[in-house]
Amino acid sequence: MDQNRQGARASYVALAVFVAGWILLPSGVRRLNREAFAEFQAPALHLLGRSRDLATYWEKRSRDAEELSAAGRDLARINAGLELKLKMLEDVRRENIRLREITRYQASPEYLTVVARVATRESASWWQRIVIRKGRNDGIRPGAPVVFGDAVVGRVAAVHLSTSEVDLVTSPGFRCTAYLEGDELNRIVLVNGVAAASLGSAKARVSVIPHDYTMPAGQPARVTTTGMGGVFPSGLTLGTLDGAAYATQVGNFKESLLVPSRDLYNLQEVSVLVPLKQNPGEALMQADQFQ
Amino acid sequence: MGWAWLFLLLATYPWLLGADLAGDAFATSGLVFFVSGAVLIAPCRRLRRWQCVLLAAGAGFLFEARRPIPDGLLALPLVGFAVFLSTHRAWLRSTPRMLQAAAAVNALACLLWSAGAAHEADLPLAARLGQLALQVFFATVLGAVALVPLALTQNAVMDRLGVPPPEQP
Repeated sequence: MDQNRQGARASYVALAVFVAGWILLPSGVRRLNREAFAEFQAPALHLLGRSRDLATYWEKRSRDAEELSAAGRDLARINAGLELKLKMLEDVRRENIRLREITRYQASPEYLTVVARVATRESASWWQRIVIRKGRNDGIRPGAPVVFGDAVVGRVAAVHLSTSEVDLVTSPGFRCTAYLEGDELNRIVLVNGVAAASLGSAKARVSVIPHDYTMPAGQPARVTTTGMGGVFPSGLTLGTLDGAAYATQVGNFKESLLVPSRDLYNLQEVSVLVPLKQNPGEALMQADQFQ
Repeated sequence: MGWAWLFLLLATYPWLLGADLAGDAFATSGLVFFVSGAVLIAPCRRLRRWQCVLLAAGAGFLFEARRPIPDGLLALPLVGFAVFLSTHRAWLRSTPRMLQAAAAVNALACLLWSAGAAHEADLPLAARLGQLALQVFFATVLGAVALVPLALTQNAVMDRLGVPPPEQP
């Protein structure tokens, strides 16, 4: 029994020494350890995502031919409409390039789109994240914006070899500047994630709303990205204002909640917009990750 | 068997992944299905102390790897719990005691990561006490509920690996 106690005492001392060493260790070692455990889990996450895809495939296979042919017909119509739209947009693009050349306008950052399937969703009061099945091997970098259609989903928080973690719009770490629909002066407001209330769905907060701003009647006001800061392209939808705007403690501005434009926990697929050139914000985020 | 802890960790991993999947299914509620504390109980009755320590560190780091929590904040306390439990094996002889231990370790570990996450997110913990209490209560219940299937799996693996059975009173 005494030997057991002595062994335990030695173990506690060893643990205390290890904790001290752990705190003093260079952050790179701790990061390597975290990365190793994340990579260990990556195959399981891929397997999970693929089995979900397989389940969806068999669910779709079980639909009858009539339903499928109706869906195919609808898709063909949509495709025809989109082809027409593409041609119009091509004309607009050419005109845009010509005008930029004439005015010597500095080109906005260009992005490489990487489509990724969602592996798991993770939500707590302190964070809302999704894990996607694409990573460093696919060219994804920390800080890259993540979208679905024209709606902002979030921002890449951490990148591993074949998976990445995305902070959702509603996650407390998310911050972005935005414009409000109906504000003729295009004044900038701030959007940041808020810690979720007990068992409630997470939302984001829109702050620094000008006092004289009034929402458009009959519809919720859209909140769109400004394109400033170089992270998100301009004009993407962050969500809509939750209706009731209220005065902040300072009293000079109003605040409101943001309802994300998509159900963020039901997404199956997202697009990561990887900037072709590294922007300053991204460089800062990478430095943070290596600290 | 020296590598028993690693095989046990691999055998326990599907349970940890299952808890993540449950969290995924209930993502809108904001609850985390946390069982990393409960996975220590059955191994601490049978494995050697150093093996329990490695298993606890592995389970803790696996949880931390994909979450914004300070490094080692969960893994190192779990190691401390493993040392404590493997020293007081006599406390874990009966099933009710094991259930109590699972609930207590799971709740304490949950409290630690919640506090760590609040610190990392730069949010005042006091303002979120309701959510914290709910999460800890949920982890307490889940620790006790998940212990029986977890212990069954882990005991079956330890039997296969030839780990000696726990000492009888």
